[in-house]
Amino acid sequence: MSSLPAVGRRASLLLACLLPIFTDTVSRAETNDPLAVIRARGELLWGADAEGGAPYVYPDPEHPENLIGFEYDLADALAARMGVKARMVQNQWEQLIPALDRGNFDIILNGLEITPENQQHITLSRPYYVYAQQIVVRRDTGGLARMADLVGRPVGVLASSAAQRLLQRAPGVDLRIYPGNVESLRDLKARRIEAALLDLPIALHYAKPDPALKLSGTPFAPGYYGIGVRRADTNLLAELNRQIAALAADHTLEQIYRKYGLWDERQADLGNYHAQTVQKQAAISTIREWRKYLPPLLWGAVTTVELSVLAMLVAVAAGLVVVLVRLYAPPPFSWLARAYVEVVRGTPLLIQLFLIYYGLPEIGIKFNAFAAAVLGLGLNYAASEAENYRAGLQAIPRGQTEAALALGMTRAQTLRRVLIPQAVRLVIPPVTNDFIAMFKDSSIVSVITMVELTKVYGMLAMSTYDYIGLGLMTAAIYFLLSYPASLGAAWLERRLAQNDHR
Amino acid sequence: MITVENLIKSYRSNRVLHGIDHAQERGEAVFLIGPSGCGKSTFLRCLNQLEIADAGRITIDGVSVEGGRPPRNGEERERQRQLRLRAGMVFQSFNLFPHLTALENITLSPQVVHGLAPAEAEARARALLARVGLAAKADAYPGQLSGGQQQRVAIARALAMEPRVMLFDEPTSALDPELRDEVLQVMRGLAEDGMTMIVVTHEMQFARDMATRVLFFDAGRVAESGPPEQIFSAPQLDRTREFLKRSATVGGR
Repeated sequence: MSSLPAVGRRASLLLACLLPIFTDTVSRAETNDPLAVIRARGELLWGADAEGGAPYVYPDPEHPENLIGFEYDLADALAARMGVKARMVQNQWEQLIPALDRGNFDIILNGLEITPENQQHITLSRPYYVYAQQIVVRRDTGGLARMADLVGRPVGVLASSAAQRLLQRAPGVDLRIYPGNVESLRDLKARRIEAALLDLPIALHYAKPDPALKLSGTPFAPGYYGIGVRRADTNLLAELNRQIAALAADHTLEQIYRKYGLWDERQADLGNYHAQTVQKQAAISTIREWRKYLPPLLWGAVTTVELSVLAMLVAVAAGLVVVLVRLYAPPPFSWLARAYVEVVRGTPLLIQLFLIYYGLPEIGIKFNAFAAAVLGLGLNYAASEAENYRAGLQAIPRGQTEAALALGMTRAQTLRRVLIPQAVRLVIPPVTNDFIAMFKDSSIVSVITMVELTKVYGMLAMSTYDYIGLGLMTAAIYFLLSYPASLGAAWLERRLAQNDHR
Repeated sequence: MITVENLIKSYRSNRVLHGIDHAQERGEAVFLIGPSGCGKSTFLRCLNQLEIADAGRITIDGVSVEGGRPPRNGEERERQRQLRLRAGMVFQSFNLFPHLTALENITLSPQVVHGLAPAEAEARARALLARVGLAAKADAYPGQLSGGQQQRVAIARALAMEPRVMLFDEPTSALDPELRDEVLQVMRGLAEDGMTMIVVTHEMQFARDMATRVLFFDAGRVAESGPPEQIFSAPQLDRTREFLKRSATVGGR
């Protein structure tokens, strides 16, 4: 009994040691003085996405281990004025705001547009850059110089960008949403889309030097980039606003922007900015308006179901071919089948999808997004199904094969009449489990511009900022679709067990 | 009918058959006895090509297969299959197909291998089931049958392919004593009908009653062979005597 408090103390000590592992890097101690925290640390942590991030922040082509970019220089300049060093924290662009909210870094400095949507959860500083939207087309394309020209055409945008918001409100545009800027321009060149709508700095950096592309028409729909700060961090916001004004006044901003070819007459507008009050959307508000939000979610669910059913058919059939070749074909072929399984299982599905959708067009094989998604998911799961089948076939006693061969059956007849019918019973439960897993995994195909249930959720959440309400609706749809599949699998398993008279 | 010349078989460095020669006439019932691991089951499995001998030649009813390596081309594979079609095999563990009824177990290979019409295959199967005393169990699955019944279905399944010789690999070893007799009864009937057979068994009394010839296997060789009266009553070798004495003390097995 007497040792109990000691145990308790030891346990809490252990917990105290472990806690930092589970919580995020920046402590969110209730100091309300983030500036003091930053100064004590000696570092300003700024969140950004360097992947395809030129000219904002990106790896130096000459020295890829170093980052450069106008925001990289800006962060350094800001931090220097605050008397600390700047340290960039890599984070996927679409997830920057939730990551800031969780406390992964102090500020977001990464082309965050000053829009009501972006200010639902966080505050934005006064602007440090004036951007505009630029249409990019292939060099041989005529027209397509204004927003109105884009109606009825497939147009690529960066996920969660101002361009996506702009076109989501413009009816009739065939919107294709990309995880990065490089991908949309690549698809533009591959003729999958007719135009891309980009923030001007991106267009200047990536499209202008590209001989296959051109900037079409004049930039429009100007807006401001601001630095994202947590709502509570008011003194940090004030400090940032003061330093941005100072950097503009002493022409540091102009120097940085000129260095990257981004200075234009619009930047004169920076001083004229007046903050506007933002209407805050109530959380879970979309549930009350479910009539409005459910139909698009259900359309997304239809795509998800189509996709996973077709992909599973591919997986079940291709897996059978792979396992038969692996187990029964002569060496060079059986090795290939084995290598297929190992390589596909040992590499991320994301990479495989990128290779099929963005990579294959370079050697002349072009699938549309749906076909690429079905193939990518199907061929990936084929490896897993092949392993399921192999386990099933190998679980059948050797005596079964011997009996069939002794009766004069050929290997193929043995397989078809004796082994496969028995293996099917063993394999149905793991295969149905894989189907349910794929149903949920299929959301990954949004990286190749497929708009399925999760993507619809993301798009709606981005414009309403009700992640909770829409998230609950989306999760409910997934569950209502996958639970019957689980029940069906369990029923099938019971039925097969009844029929199994062994 | 059956000729085996200098059959040699090793598993890695362990030689289990040291050059077996054997000749058997139509209608003979040859029983193989001997201690565990003496090579008698391996010999039987080589005859049916479930094991490939390292060397030697096997001829059954005019079809010859050479040892040395698995068949490499279509012609060699076909010859192997022809040999198998001439020999029906009954296993210690029955090896019925669990997903098929007793009847379907019997009709499957005549249909698949010989292309027999379903109605004809079924008629033949029902006749065979009646012959092994299981006409009423046609629609039962193997899991619903006792071990003795399963082994009788397995015998009917082998007979459905109309083999020239039946190979029995310890057909009653996996059965409880009270279930052995029904299987032995069926085998007795086959022998009396003049079926050529080779039986690996520990049932000494049955061997004594039914064999036309007994081969005593020891350490991969045929140590002694002869008519059952001679082997069981006046064995020539000490090893044979010892083996028979030990078999008698473990309850006739």
